[in-house]
Parts: sequence; C-alpha cells; structure tokens
Amino acid sequence: MKRNTPLITLLTGAALGIVLLIASMLATPSNAPAGYSATVPSTPSATSAPASTPPAAPSSAAESPSAPSPSAPSPSASTAYAGAPAQADYAGKVSGGGASVAVAVHGSQVIAYVCNGSTVEAWLKGTVKAGRVVMTGKNHAQLSADSAVDSAVTMMAGDVTAHGTHYSFSVPMAQKPSGLYEATATVRGATIKAGWIVLADGTQVGSLETDAGSAAPSAIQAPRLDVATGTAEYDGTILHATLISGATGSGF
Amino acid sequence: MTAQSSASAPLPPARASSGVAKLVVPSVIGALVALTLGIYGRLHHPTGIAINIAGFSSPGYVKSWLATGATVFALVQVGSALVMYGKVPRVTAPPWIGGLHRWSGRIAFLLAVPVAIHCLYALGFQDYSTRVLIHSLLGCAFFGAFTVKMLILPKRGLPGWVLPLAGALVFILLIAIWLTSAYWFFSTFGIKR
Repeated sequence: MKRNTPLITLLTGAALGIVLLIASMLATPSNAPAGYSATVPSTPSATSAPASTPPAAPSSAAESPSAPSPSAPSPSASTAYAGAPAQADYAGKVSGGGASVAVAVHGSQVIAYVCNGSTVEAWLKGTVKAGRVVMTGKNHAQLSADSAVDSAVTMMAGDVTAHGTHYSFSVPMAQKPSGLYEATATVRGATIKAGWIVLADGTQVGSLETDAGSAAPSAIQAPRLDVATGTAEYDGTILHATLISGATGSGF
Repeated sequence: MTAQSSASAPLPPARASSGVAKLVVPSVIGALVALTLGIYGRLHHPTGIAINIAGFSSPGYVKSWLATGATVFALVQVGSALVMYGKVPRVTAPPWIGGLHRWSGRIAFLLAVPVAIHCLYALGFQDYSTRVLIHSLLGCAFFGAFTVKMLILPKRGLPGWVLPLAGALVFILLIAIWLTSAYWFFSTFGIKR
C-alpha cells in the first residue's frame, strides 16, 4: 500500500473517540473530576444535540456535593469503585427517563421502589454487601446494583426489572424531601399500598397498588403526594405517607 | 492508494515462519488498546449521561441503532471477504469488491466508536450481570482486535490464514457485542426509534 490507509482508519476512529469523550465530559459538569466547583450550572450544556438522559441525575447531583447528608462519610476524591455509605438514599430517573427508582440503604438492609407512575412498579427488599445491592420483590421483580463514590458524588447504578419491564439506572444520592415515600391503608376492604419517588427537582412519580396483598399486585397512578404534609387523598381516604430513608432508619 | 482488489495471496512457505513474528508487535498494541479501554471503563466513574443524538427516543436507542448499523456493515464485510477469497460458488470477485470491503469496514468501525464512547463514559465496565460482564469484556477486546487487523494489513510476508483469522475474530466479537446489547435492548424495550 502506498499510504498506510488502515492506520489512517484507526487514527480517525481514535480521534473521533477522543472528540466524543471530551464532548461527553463537557456535557456532565457536576460529575467532572475534582477541580470543578460544585456550583456549576445543573443543566448539561448541549453540544450539537438536545440534552441527554436522566435530567434529574445531573441536577440533583449538582446539589448533593454542596450539601452532603449528615450521615454520609466525607467525600472521597478517588475515582475507583468504593463501597457505599452504610446509610444512604438514592433516587432518580432510570436511563431513558421512562420511570424512577429509589433505593434506601440502612446498614445491610435495603428497600427499593421502582415505578413509572402507572402500572409498572415494584417494591423490593434485599441486602447490600461491599457496595453490591441484590434485591427481589413480588411478581419476579429484581434489582441489582453497585454504588460508588467519586469526587463527592455518590451514585448507585444497576438494573431493575418490575412488572416484566427492565430498566437500567444510575442515580445519585437523595436528600430530604427528595426520596421515597410509602403509604399503606385499607380502603373499602382492600389493602392498598402507594409509593412515591420525589426527585430533587421537586417532581414526583407514584403508583398505587390496588390489591397490595396479592402475589402480583396491579397498580395505577398514585394520587399526588403533598410532600409538606406527607398526605395524599385516595378514594375519599387520606393516606399518611412515611418517608423510607436509609439515612435516618425511617421505614426500616 | 493502490487498487487492491483482493487480499494478499499466500506467500511461499519459506517465509512463513518469520511472518508470524510480525504479528507480535501488533498483537501487543492491540492487547494494550483493549486493556486501556477496560481499565478506563473500570476506574472511570460512570456518569449515567453523555452527549446525545437528536432523532432517537433515548440514548439506549441511539446506541442500539448505531450498533445495529455497524453490525450490518460487518455482515457486508464478511460477505465481501468471502467473495474476495473466492469462497462463494459461481461468483467471481468484481474489481470493486476490495473497495466495498474496505469502506464497509471503515463505516462499521466509525459507527461503533460513538457507541463505545457512550458506553464507557456513561455506563462503565460493569459486571452486575453475565450479559453486562461479557459485553464489557468483548467490547474492549473488539477494539484491540480491530487495532491488530489494521496494523497487520500493510504487512508483507504474513501467512495466508492471518488476515481471515483476524477478520473473523473482529466479526465474531462484534456480533457477540451486538447480541449482549442492542439485541437485548430491542428484545426488552421493543424495536422503535
């Protein structure tokens, strides 16, 4: 070959990769390595395209470094995988934004909830060991995830399956009032269980199981939760929601 | 660029033994590429987000469609290679077959790069399920294998089985990567934009 065209192909690909990597780094200000302050704007700067996935993740991640939860350990500057804090809560949207997930870690016990605000939802219980969370729930619900601390931002990333639907997620630590709320009540003879995930930007998504005692509960959209009072109204009944928080031990 | 309409013909046996020695440096470089990607993916903390491309409903779909595009071009690669080596009965290699092979390969590779960058940056090297572990390992291996193939192409004096083997390895890795990602993704979430 007169000119080493395969090498040109290889170097073109490498150059493309580096350009995209830098563009990706520029699109994630709150997760940049130490050296970026925690006050960078929370909306990722779009490069040539509209902003990307979980919008809740960067905006809540921008807030967590500046006000770490009291029970979290001092932030580690390491970028390697490290174990999660022993009591912590995580909440955010799943990849693609189709649902939200909240995970509450309290010592070795973990409670999680995933829901899309209507029929796809599941409560999960499980354990955590060395940062690896493994959980199961009714109707073949499963969740497995890892947590890691990087430059004051703790994330939990993994997979969850609920109601036959599979999501991947990478969500940051949450602080009150962002988090997971649960309310159980008996309404006209049926046990209902509602779950709400409140995200750091104030939006909430919630589902309500109309037959919570069943082995495969079916769910509908939950009524709006008034986070200030912790109440919601369903079918004429006031539901009182409790916060499920690994950080405080509430709900465990 | 020389008009190369077929891969280099097998060389006389007397030079075959030193030919394999020429594979050592490219293989080491390829291995280093694979290792670098894996170590970066493992050490870098996944952010969950990366730059997106307009027109798709989610980054998962962007990657799945781009990866599928790369895989389609990889199939063209295999087909054109078979024709180039005269393995397809009753089909003689037309003069443009080499160009088709090279360009389909370049397109496949360049489609795979943004997918890999997004994967490494937003998701990282993961092992929380078998599918994800295999994907992470093979993803790194693919770029190492592709590097090797690009580095050995201009070399003279290689045994005739080297290029087809390198090409087959690259192809098999890409198919396995596609199965553990885009194929799983479309099966789980449906085929849509």
